[in-house]
Amino acid sequence: MDLDGANERNGETPLRDYVDSVMEIPRLFAVLLIVLGWISPGLPSPLWPICDLRALDHFVKKAQEAEAAMRSCKECSFTTPFTVPQPSVDYNAWRKKDSEQQALEVQTGLWLLSQALLSLKTSVSNTALHSHIDNNLGNIVSIGQVLRSLSFPDYTPPETASVTTDTWRVTSASALFQVQFNFLRGKVRLLMSHAPVCQQAVS
Amino acid sequence: MIQHSTGVCDGVAKSMGGYLMVTLWTTTDDRRNLGNKGTKLYTPKKCNSIFVQTDDQKMTNVSLARVLAFCFLLCISKDSIAEVSKELEVKVNMLLQYEKDDPKCFLNGTVQIFCFWEERDEDNGTADQYTFRYTYPYCGAAVCPVTVFSIGGGRTFYSCDNFQATLYVPLSIEVLRGEQLIHNRTVFNDHIILLDPPGNLTLRTTAKPGQLKVNWVQPVFIDGDLQYEISYAVRGSQMGKRDVVRSKTDLLLQNLLPGANYSVRARARPQSSGFNGWWSAWSDPVTIRIPNETDPLILSMSLIISFIFLLLSLTIFLNHRKFLSKVLWPTIPSPESKFPDLFTVYKGDFQEWMNQSTGSMRWIPVHYYMEEPVAPLEVLSEVTVRPTPASRVSPPKDTQGAEADGARRLEVGEHEVERDSPVRWAELQHEAWMLEHLRNLHQHPAPLSQSSLLESQDAYISLNNSQKPEEEEETPGKEGGGLEEILEESIPLQTLFAGTGTRSSTSHSDLGSLQQSSGSGRLSAQSSLEYPNQTWPPHGPSYTYMAVADSGVSMDYSPMSSSQIADAEQKHKPRVIYTNEYKNELPLHKHWPLMGAANGLLRADLMDSAASKHQT
Repeated sequence: MDLDGANERNGETPLRDYVDSVMEIPRLFAVLLIVLGWISPGLPSPLWPICDLRALDHFVKKAQEAEAAMRSCKECSFTTPFTVPQPSVDYNAWRKKDSEQQALEVQTGLWLLSQALLSLKTSVSNTALHSHIDNNLGNIVSIGQVLRSLSFPDYTPPETASVTTDTWRVTSASALFQVQFNFLRGKVRLLMSHAPVCQQAVS
Repeated sequence: MIQHSTGVCDGVAKSMGGYLMVTLWTTTDDRRNLGNKGTKLYTPKKCNSIFVQTDDQKMTNVSLARVLAFCFLLCISKDSIAEVSKELEVKVNMLLQYEKDDPKCFLNGTVQIFCFWEERDEDNGTADQYTFRYTYPYCGAAVCPVTVFSIGGGRTFYSCDNFQATLYVPLSIEVLRGEQLIHNRTVFNDHIILLDPPGNLTLRTTAKPGQLKVNWVQPVFIDGDLQYEISYAVRGSQMGKRDVVRSKTDLLLQNLLPGANYSVRARARPQSSGFNGWWSAWSDPVTIRIPNETDPLILSMSLIISFIFLLLSLTIFLNHRKFLSKVLWPTIPSPESKFPDLFTVYKGDFQEWMNQSTGSMRWIPVHYYMEEPVAPLEVLSEVTVRPTPASRVSPPKDTQGAEADGARRLEVGEHEVERDSPVRWAELQHEAWMLEHLRNLHQHPAPLSQSSLLESQDAYISLNNSQKPEEEEETPGKEGGGLEEILEESIPLQTLFAGTGTRSSTSHSDLGSLQQSSGSGRLSAQSSLEYPNQTWPPHGPSYTYMAVADSGVSMDYSPMSSSQIADAEQKHKPRVIYTNEYKNELPLHKHWPLMGAANGLLRADLMDSAASKHQT
């Protein structure tokens, strides 16, 4: 019946109007929050600090395995050297640096390593070795995440290729992985084990 | 900052291949390291300056300044042969066992390197002969001055220590005697960690027996991730146990022998991926005595508790003495209270007591309730008006309370078969006695007063009683004409004095004894139906008396049913309908043997009135 339909419609629209009027403010809020979420400074929510070093030990082991695997690689000597971070640590000097300096040094080194691995990947054709390279690349990324969880400031790679911190130049894949092996268990580990966030949790 | 003291600071700056190598050495004395006088060479880190891309001249100045900044000078005295500290000696001895290669190098907890080797070939050698050269990658070779030291046992060693210890990079060492290379080795400094033993080892007993809490302090080291080994044994015993602890500095020892002296010691070792090394030396043992299990505290507590328990039980005992005595020593009930004077006066002679006592007939109801429903009262009247004294069915006095009362079921002779109830031997005897008595009476009939008649009837005397005197007949066992309306079931009893001679056997059936009732019913049926003309079979004296059963239970006999039957068989007679007015009255029963007459009188009166009512 038309009347019924009219009634229905009439009944509906008052409800709808009511809903619209009442929900306006929450709607505005929601939109506001979404917008603010977009434009908020890119600080992610703080991650739970990963103070356990077992993951790092695992990455160290993987780098060691890659080094051993690369030793048998015949074609893994290159003319153009890779720039890698210096893994050496003078503990007394290291201790004197503050946490931010140390973090910067570590993150620069990690970036350098990843760059070297990428260029190595293009140079090596053996697919078996590619898996090692990919693993270690992934591990480096993971370490970056761990460092972020420890509240270290994010690292932005420099625009220019030059690096001011200490670097080495290696010409073989095994040397590259050796550097990575030593770098991870050296500087990175020292940084992580003495992270202020973890120290607070302990004490 | 340059600190100058009494020493000399000297250095070399060499520019080569785009980097600058600076070597600086100085003689200094660091008492902290060596414990006493010794020689120490300090070479500052120089590799940082290598890759700075500036012109050489500037580089040199800057580097030198930087290098000089690391130079610190202390007063020293140069000795040809130095003595080493005790800890160092221990470590040297340990390394002599662990390490095979020469020179033996280790890194202590503060990341200070110490290398030494032994030369046995030549005596009187001097340290100047030897050149200790070490090289880090990308850093160039450096030289460390060689010193000599000796340990107990007269052994001399050449050593070079405290030079630059860079971690995570390979260190290549060359030892030259003069120009001859005698030792060559490459090590990683982070793999040759030899720590000091853990310090501050403390032992503490816990609350539980046989347990010990061990605490220690981590030896000085840059990394906190160490593993420890705790060794504990009974003092003097060679057999000990070892527990490995990771990353913690405490341990709980369990299952120790109480009362024994235990000595505990600990050692440490790096365990992370960042460092590697050997087990440190054992710490000094610490002894402690495990307390005995029988703690005096526990003993005293148990004593106190048992004392309290004792007090409590004593209090309860005293308060509930009577109750407890009742429980523990129950009193044996004695029937003395129920039988007064029985034991005291009559000395247990029951018969005597029975004769004397008057009011205590309590033993009667005992029989009533304990026994099975009594036999129905059966009154068989053979018209013999004669009040057979045999019908005196007063219970013999000598019958036991349990048997003789109540159930007076007299069926004698051939009619016993119709009795369904179980035969009681006492009844049987009684019946026999009664029968004999009856015979006697029959032979010698003696008129009895009505009262005696009544007496003999017990409590169940029918209405006919009043009319009997007129209607007495002499025919024993034969009924006369009129048969009063004696209803079989309704009339609980009929006296022998049913004067009309008619008598119908009535059965008084108890409520409980259905069998008996049926039997008696049969009997009565036999008597009433089979002999419609009231020609009763010569039953003999068995029917001349009545059996009185006083069960104490009243039964409602519907007068109508039996009246109809009676009607058919009888002539019109003044109907006597017995409305069962007999009620269950114990007191009456109690006095029944003696006062049955009174009861009968009472009953008779009642029945009289009822009969008169009906008749009218």
